[in-house]
Amino acid sequence: MNDYTEAEVQRALAEDLGIAEQGISVVRAGAGLVLCGEVESPHRRDEIVRLVHERFPGIEITADIGVTRAAAPTEAEELA
Amino acid sequence: MIRIAAVGDVHIDRDVLGRFRPALEELPDRADVLLLAGDLTRHGTEAEAKCVATEFGGLGVPVIAVLGNHDHHCDEVPGVLAALTDAGITVLEGDSIVVDVDGTRLGVAGVKGFGGGFAGRCASEFGEPEMKAFVRTTGTVAERLGAALRDLDCDVRVALTHYAPVPDTLAGEPLEIYPFLGSYLLGQAIDSAPTDLAVHGHAHHGSERGRTPGGVRVRNVAHPVIKQAYSVFNLAREHVSPSAASGI
Ligand SMILES: [Fe+2]
Ligand SMILES: [Fe+2]
Repeated sequence: MNDYTEAEVQRALAEDLGIAEQGISVVRAGAGLVLCGEVESPHRRDEIVRLVHERFPGIEITADIGVTRAAAPTEAEELA
Repeated sequence: MIRIAAVGDVHIDRDVLGRFRPALEELPDRADVLLLAGDLTRHGTEAEAKCVATEFGGLGVPVIAVLGNHDHHCDEVPGVLAALTDAGITVLEGDSIVVDVDGTRLGVAGVKGFGGGFAGRCASEFGEPEMKAFVRTTGTVAERLGAALRDLDCDVRVALTHYAPVPDTLAGEPLEIYPFLGSYLLGQAIDSAPTDLAVHGHAHHGSERGRTPGGVRVRNVAHPVIKQAYSVFNLAREHVSPSAASGI
């Protein structure tokens, strides 16, 4: 890992067509990277981790990625 | 009262199919119309748009959308549009639609929009051709949004964009990327008409509520922001005609 790794990971997540995620933050923590954000399916979270491991071997990855809830709203907002 | 459901940035592909459907089945009981604020697909393929059509088609209420930057990525916009319109989804880009809701006319004008930044910290149409083209693109779409809003003949007027018209709803995003998230020109267009509500997406880390300088309420409905299948906004009928108001 070097000073440009975060930028490279961020661009890889956006530009790899199997991923196309712009909403994941990539932060260096010690010798590894922390990936943070929300995606639309568990499959996408797994793909992100797989791609980063594959393209950036040897870097320790901590994935703190959630799947955005898609339940019906419990209330409406009243805009008088 | 008009009940408007809205969500953006659903980024649908095969792996998401069915996730929104249980909540969408309940939508006609909760809302009169559904607005989709762009980034409907993962990277803008016709196949993904067909998944959007499956997920959001046949709801029993009108579905009105704008496209987002992701929906443009694979340069398949005509195929994306065809898949959506075949499913009865109205896609706006510089135009508008009026929907009758129990006698109240809801007007929605929409554009994808573009970036450039916000008052005092924005890009200018100056310098290299690439820079001028970037800023000019936003100016052109904002003008089209303003004209579409002003031309609407309706009782309740809503602006639908993908990019943000104000910085308020970007709170939570890094300041450095604000110019890629929206433009004050969209806000100015919204303020050029008596707009009742402005809905946008695109800023996944932003926040829900804001207001244009002219006082129009702005809501960021990006799915990761609202963290539910859609938000619902209940708007009072503000523009009841005199004859209806007096009961004549
Ligand atoms: Fe998005
Ligand atoms: Fe977007």
